Amino acid sequence: MNGHETYETLAAVYAVGALDGDDLAQFEVHLAEGCQPCATALRESREALARLALGDTRAVPPAEVKSALMARIGTAPRAAARPSRAGWLTWAAATAAVVALAAMLTSGIVASRYEARLGQMAREMAAERERLQREEAALELLRDPATRVVELRSPSGSNAIARVIWNDKAGGHLIVSNLPPAPEGKAYELWALGGAQPRPAGLFQVDASGRVAQKVEAGGEPPKGFAVTLEPATGVPAPTGPIVMASR
Amino acid sequence: MTTAGEEFIRRMAAGDRDAFGHFYDRYAPLVFPLILRIVRDRTDAADVLQEVFWEAWQGASGYDPARGTPEAWMITRARTRAIDRIRAVRRRSETFVPPVDEGLAPASPEPGGDAAERAEDRGVIRTALNQLPHAQREVIELAYYAGLTQTEISARLQQPLGTVKTRIRLGLERLRDVVRRAT
Ligand SMILES: [Zn+2]
Repeated sequence: MNGHETYETLAAVYAVGALDGDDLAQFEVHLAEGCQPCATALRESREALARLALGDTRAVPPAEVKSALMARIGTAPRAAARPSRAGWLTWAAATAAVVALAAMLTSGIVASRYEARLGQMAREMAAERERLQREEAALELLRDPATRVVELRSPSGSNAIARVIWNDKAGGHLIVSNLPPAPEGKAYELWALGGAQPRPAGLFQVDASGRVAQKVEAGGEPPKGFAVTLEPATGVPAPTGPIVMASR
Repeated sequence: MTTAGEEFIRRMAAGDRDAFGHFYDRYAPLVFPLILRIVRDRTDAADVLQEVFWEAWQGASGYDPARGTPEAWMITRARTRAIDRIRAVRRRSETFVPPVDEGLAPASPEPGGDAAERAEDRGVIRTALNQLPHAQREVIELAYYAGLTQTEISARLQQPLGTVKTRIRLGLERLRDVVRRAT
């Protein structure tokens, strides 16, 4: 499809860190929606740029940096390490695929295989349509001059990042990257800040690669900022958990 | 296969301080030159280096080998933090734009191990940027090393935004090609 070429260009500009304005928000929506070709292009570009940087002259870093770091990690409390679930999920998905394949083969009925395949294609198409609709809605929002993009960062300095594309009238979209999946029984909750109380603006979970994109409903006072906390999976009316990300 | 770097990160995620020490020894000399090249001040560069490794320690459990090598993970982070630093400086002094290097300094020889293996293709890759047409190389350097955005590059070079984007794309495609052939 011809339309995708625009994204390929945006992916290159994104890789060298030069994407800005609407292009940046548009590409991050596209990426958060899970475009594999763009994710692959980005990974390859980063590897190439890393190799380029490694070609620079070696320079010995000042010794005091290491001693400062070693002292720092020896004393500072650290977020409890949680094993990444990505590996486990991949394994689980592969196992599920093998089980499904075995079931298809042993059924011995050719027709049922086609039915299963058709059912799967229908589901994929429905998901794709939904993805496109979300992407278009976000783009539409970006065309409105009253729309702004708010960036949320982790106060602990992790590389988790979120952007809220926000319009006081229409609401907005939340796009998250690099956030570890919430522990069992927990969910992330978005808060709109600026009123007398933080307003709950939606619960979310991230996928195995730490991403999600979802709609945020309008309502309440126009927010001055946003924050994300870790809460019980059912959600809470007012924040109780630690702040995971916040706008400045 | 798990590389040594991946193994260090896995152990760091489990809170292993020794692994962090080894990880630092291996990667600090790789990322420091990039930081220094971008921020240009040794004290600032040391600050950024500390920040980058602190983040790596904090974020070790978020590392996913499927999404990139430890080298790319660290270089991407180092570049981002170094650019954050010079952008903050630039905001304070409005018009300051760091100059762009005309050439890359030659790599210093170093003793054995896999570092030496890497040194072999380093020459090929270093010249990759030099092989690009001037216009493509210029936009990549302004973006990646000087931290200008596409809009800023367009204004600085007085070229349409679309031209800047296309040059970046073509230049990057070529770089990826050279790296692919070197590995
Ligand atoms: Zn794409």
